Amino acid sequence: MRLPEDAYLKTASMAAAAFFDTPFFLLEYALRFLRVLVLLALWRTVFASHATGSMTLPQVLTYTLIAEVFAAQLNLRTSLNDAMWDGTLVIRFLRPMGLIRQLAAEMAGRWSIDLVLFSLPLFAIAPLLGVDPRPASPPHAILFITSLALSIVVGLALEQFSGAIVVAFEQPVWLVDYVRVAIATVLSGQLLPLAYYPAGIGELFSWLPFAATTWAPLAIYTGAGNPPLLIATQLFWGITLWPIANWIWRANREKLASYGG
Amino acid sequence: MDLLFVARGPRVALIYYFSDLVRGAAAATATFLLAERFDGIGAWTKPQVLFLLGYALLVRLLIDSFFNYNLAHVSRRIGRGQLDHLLIQPQPLWMALVTEGFAPVTGTGMLLPSAILLGAAGQQLNLIFSPGWCLQFIAYLVASITVVLSFEYAWASIAFWAPRAAEEINSHTWDLLQALTPFPLDGLSGWALGSLLTVVPAGIVAWYPSRALLGLAPLAWPDAAVAPAAAVLFAAFAAWIFTRGLHHYGRTGSSRYLDYGHRR
Repeated sequence: MRLPEDAYLKTASMAAAAFFDTPFFLLEYALRFLRVLVLLALWRTVFASHATGSMTLPQVLTYTLIAEVFAAQLNLRTSLNDAMWDGTLVIRFLRPMGLIRQLAAEMAGRWSIDLVLFSLPLFAIAPLLGVDPRPASPPHAILFITSLALSIVVGLALEQFSGAIVVAFEQPVWLVDYVRVAIATVLSGQLLPLAYYPAGIGELFSWLPFAATTWAPLAIYTGAGNPPLLIATQLFWGITLWPIANWIWRANREKLASYGG
Repeated sequence: MDLLFVARGPRVALIYYFSDLVRGAAAATATFLLAERFDGIGAWTKPQVLFLLGYALLVRLLIDSFFNYNLAHVSRRIGRGQLDHLLIQPQPLWMALVTEGFAPVTGTGMLLPSAILLGAAGQQLNLIFSPGWCLQFIAYLVASITVVLSFEYAWASIAFWAPRAAEEINSHTWDLLQALTPFPLDGLSGWALGSLLTVVPAGIVAWYPSRALLGLAPLAWPDAAVAPAAAVLFAAFAAWIFTRGLHHYGRTGSSRYLDYGHRR
């Protein structure tokens, strides 16, 4: 079957429209906004009493705000888990499109709404929160875009890897998801820049794939890291993880069983 | 029931337990690392931060242990039409809710991190566990749990009117509270702090009680009574709206299933 040229665009557009199926995404936005307020206040409190650290206060505040602005991309999630949970993954297998590509298209559709309703407004009001949201310099901004693209590549590989683990070990979807989220929260630098982890732990974590999704682009954006090294690390994980995730997925996908509906 | 779950397959139960343990540790990590790196956060010394984190995890542990099986995420029960399973039991709804969620085995994943944090904090702060302090600790714990559950049940009541749209609303409200609970909120501006003590009462769950228990706030009675008073108010509001929803449900029943059994 020949695929329409705009099939992925249409998929993204359908996913974007489905975003408004329930109005409760506003609660998630409330959480994200309040979280950013709390973290900004926390950093100000910390810096008021300890004016030391490998990053300056403005850098840390920008890091915290931009982490939330690009949260959907830096901690990307497709609807793979939902599809496994409710059994609609079967329908996705029947579509004449690659599984990960269609999941990525759906994800991009949701991102477009998220961008308009949350990310851009948060970026715009950053000065009201006392944060300069601009990147460290124009070259850093360009490198950030490259790094963000690589972060998405690594994030998608991790997503497929996590799905493959669920199927391979026949574990409950949400159980694996909870553990993955918990580990990613600690290892990625999502809540706390890795530069602020005690006793060299952050340096160790910065070599792991989770850091390639979050810490690397944010460190480049704020000028807190070495861009060539960070991008090289992301490239390494992108190149390494994809074949592994693909292999595990292909080797195990026929084990998939779902009792949703 | 909970023991049965374990007996059926210890492997799955152990994995659940381990995942809870990892989640518990992760929930406290950011604040813990920050306190470790800077030897405290603002007015809070490192042991005091450990106490706050341990207290927050203890609240979560008790909710996981006594209100498990989606009873703290009751919008799922309501939205999926599963409230009927409780309503047909020959006992009042409140009794069914209190008894059915008891999960002393699988709900205790937070026990270890919570015990370590509270133990370490108690030792480093040289806390004196006088009967008065212990009573106050228990009173605050009950208040914290009441606030969390009231917040969950109040939001879950929407599922009586919009079962499909609001089925997962408690996932959002739960995340909202849990994500904001393990932080000292002292540096927040007035309106932000006000919001976190009223609209989204994350501050009442751990920060406010910990301040009072550690003597970081004046122990004058109006201040000490804020958390218990808030718990009573939140519980009254949740009971009012949940009862209204239940009356509505009594007239309409669940509309989630088609005649041939599939979920809408």
